[in-house]
Amino acid sequence: MEHEILAGLKKTVLDYDIEKAESIAKDAISKGLDPLKCAEALTEGIRQIGEGFEKGDLFLVDLVAGSEVVKKALPPIHEEITRRGQKTASLGKVVLGTVFGDIHSIGKDMVATLLFANGFEVIDLGVNVRSDSFIDAIKKSEANVLAISALLTTTVMEQKNVIEGLGREGIRPNVKVIVGGAPINQEFADSIGADGYGSTALEGVAIVKSLLGTEPQKHA
Amino acid sequence: MRRGFRRRIPPVKILSDCEVEAIHRATLNLLEEVGCRFESKKALEILKKNGCIVNYEDFRARIPAYLVEEAIRKTPSSFLVRARDPKNNMMFGGNTLYFMSSAGARICDPETGIARTATLEENNQAVLVSDALENLDCFPSYTPYFEIEDVEPVMLCPTSLASRIRYSSKVSRGAQVTDSYIWEIQLARAVGQQLLGNMEAAPPLSYPEDAINAGFGYAEAGFPIYIAAGAVMGGTAPVTLAGSTITNNAELLAAVVFLQLVRPGIGIIANDFVEPIDMRTGSPAFGSLGCSLHHMAFNQIWNGFYRIPTNNTGAAFPNSKRIDFQGGYEKTHIAMASALSGANMIVLHGGVSSELSYHPLQAVMDDDIAAIVGRTIEGFEVNDETMALEIMKEVEPMRGTYLNKTHTRTLWKKEYYVPKAADRLTYQEWLKTGRKNSIDYARDRMEELLAAHKPTPITPEQDKEIDRILEEAKKYYRNKGLL
Repeated sequence: MEHEILAGLKKTVLDYDIEKAESIAKDAISKGLDPLKCAEALTEGIRQIGEGFEKGDLFLVDLVAGSEVVKKALPPIHEEITRRGQKTASLGKVVLGTVFGDIHSIGKDMVATLLFANGFEVIDLGVNVRSDSFIDAIKKSEANVLAISALLTTTVMEQKNVIEGLGREGIRPNVKVIVGGAPINQEFADSIGADGYGSTALEGVAIVKSLLGTEPQKHA
Repeated sequence: MRRGFRRRIPPVKILSDCEVEAIHRATLNLLEEVGCRFESKKALEILKKNGCIVNYEDFRARIPAYLVEEAIRKTPSSFLVRARDPKNNMMFGGNTLYFMSSAGARICDPETGIARTATLEENNQAVLVSDALENLDCFPSYTPYFEIEDVEPVMLCPTSLASRIRYSSKVSRGAQVTDSYIWEIQLARAVGQQLLGNMEAAPPLSYPEDAINAGFGYAEAGFPIYIAAGAVMGGTAPVTLAGSTITNNAELLAAVVFLQLVRPGIGIIANDFVEPIDMRTGSPAFGSLGCSLHHMAFNQIWNGFYRIPTNNTGAAFPNSKRIDFQGGYEKTHIAMASALSGANMIVLHGGVSSELSYHPLQAVMDDDIAAIVGRTIEGFEVNDETMALEIMKEVEPMRGTYLNKTHTRTLWKKEYYVPKAADRLTYQEWLKTGRKNSIDYARDRMEELLAAHKPTPITPEQDKEIDRILEEAKKYYRNKGLL
C-alpha cells in the first residue's frame, strides 16, 4: 500500500493535477506514511519533468505546472516532518530575485523551478527587490547561494550594488553569488565580482551545483 | 513634412466585425472589473476625481466603460510632431505609413553576429547613416545602442538623444526610465523640436512610477505620446491571440484614459509589441508568426475601430543572431503583415537580433524592405495612361516590343523599385565583379553615406546648451546616488 500511495503522489505531479495535490498529500500523511518518503516522491516527479525539459520533450509550461503541484502538496508534508522532528535534505539553499527597478520575472521563475526540481531549497523574493532585502534574506536564511536577475541595461548595476552590500555586511565570503539576465555576460559578471553567470536557466542551475558541490545538506 | 507611404488599398481584416466588438466588450469588462495598477498617488487622484474606482492600497484604478470610450473619442486620429528641420515633420495617422529605426543593446559583427559594446563614435556614425536613409522617418528612444562605452547606464538616454539631435534632424521619441524625460524635454526645447513622449506599461495591467512620471512630463510639455505595453503571450498575457489582444488593449486604453485626463486632446500613437513566449527559454519568441497575427488584429481594432494611430514593433527584432536569411524573412513577414493591416508606423531599421544587437549595415538593407513594403500598400495606378491600351494596339503580336516606347522610358521608375543594397546582377556579371552579396552592397552604400552625408546642422549655441543640459543631468543623478 505504501508503494501505491507514493506512486500516486509522483503521478499527481506528472499529471499536473493541482486540484488533487493537497488532498493526496494529506491522505498520505493520514495513512501514516513517512513524510520524508512522500517529499521524495514529489521531488521524483518534478525531477522527471526537469529531465524531460532538458531533453526538449517538455517545455517551460510543463515545468511550471509540475512545480505548482509540488508547492500545493508540500505544506502538509512539511508540517508532518516538523512534527516528527525530522530534517529535510536538500542540495543547498538559494535566495533569488530580480533587482530593484526591474519587474521581469520569467527567467528568474524558470531558474527557481529548475533549482527546486534539482533538489535545492529556494527562497524567491520576487521582483523589484532592494539590495537590503537580498542581504536580509541571506542573513535570515543562511543561504549558500544568492541568484540575482536583471533584464534591463539600466538595472544591471544593481547586481553590483547587492554584491558590494554583502561585502559591507561582512557576509560576502559565506555566500556564492550567481547573476543572470539577457543583458548580462561573463565579462560583466566578472567585473562586478560575481562567482558565476548563467546564460540560460539550465546553465544557471549547473553553475549553482558546481559552486556548491552536489552533496545533500540537512535543513531543519 | 515627411511623406511616408500612402495606403491606397483597403487594410486586410483578420477579424470579423463581431469579433472586434467581442474583444472591445471584453476589454471594457476587464478595465471595469479588474482595472489597472497606477503606481502613483497623483495619477490615482486624477483617475478617482474623474470617475474611476480607486483603491490606494493596491494602486488600482477600475475604469468605467463610458470613461474609456470618451477617452478614445477625444484622441485625435492624426497629429503632428515637429522636428528641428520642418522637412522632417511627421503627421501620424490616417492612411500614412512611416518607418521608425530599431535599436539594440550592442553593435554586432556583421559576419559572425558576435556583439560588443559600441563606442560613442560608432553610435554617432549609426545615427548619421540613419539620417541619410530615405525611408527611415524617425527614431525611438535609446537608439541605435542602449549601451555605449564610457556612458553610465543612467546617462544613456539623455546622451543618446543628444547624439540624435547632433547627427540627425529627424524626429525622436523620448524615454521614460529614471527621470530621463526631465533632460530630454530640455534637450528638445534647446533645438526647437518636439519629441514623441513615452509611457510604457509593465504587463499585466500595471504602470510603474517611472512611466507615469514620464507621461505627466511629456504631456505637460505639450508633446504627443507613444504608449506601449509589450506583454509575452503565455507569460504576462494569455497564451491565446484573442486573450492577449484583450489584455494589451486594456493596458493601452488605461494609458489613453489617463493621458486624456491629464491633457485632453493629446495626440497618442499606440504601439503593439506582444510576442509569444519561447517555451524553451522563457524569452519572447522574436520574429515569430504570433507577433504578426497580433499586429494584424491590433491594427484593425486601433486604426479601424478606435481610430487611434498605430505603431508595430515586431519587425524590428529578428531572433537570428546574424544579418542573414532568417533575419530577413523574420523582418519582412512581420513588416508586410503590419503594413497590409493598416499600421501607421513600423519599427524596422537596423535591429539585428532580439533587442540585443544593431548594425547600420542592417539599417541600410532594411531601407529596401521599407520601400518594398511601403510601395506595396501604395498599390499602383489604374488609369488610361497606365493601362496603355492605345500603345498595346500599336505593338505587333510576336514581333513587337515595348522597350522603345516613350511610355516605358518615362514610367518605369515610377512603377518599379530598384533596391539600393541588393545583388541585381546577372550570374556572369556577378562572377566577374567579385561575387558580392547584399551585405557587400550595403557596406558600399554605408561608406558612401558616411563620407558624403551632412545632416542639417545645429548652431554652436545649441550645441553648447546641449552640453550644459547633459552636465545638469549628471549632477542630478550624482545627487541621487545613481552616478
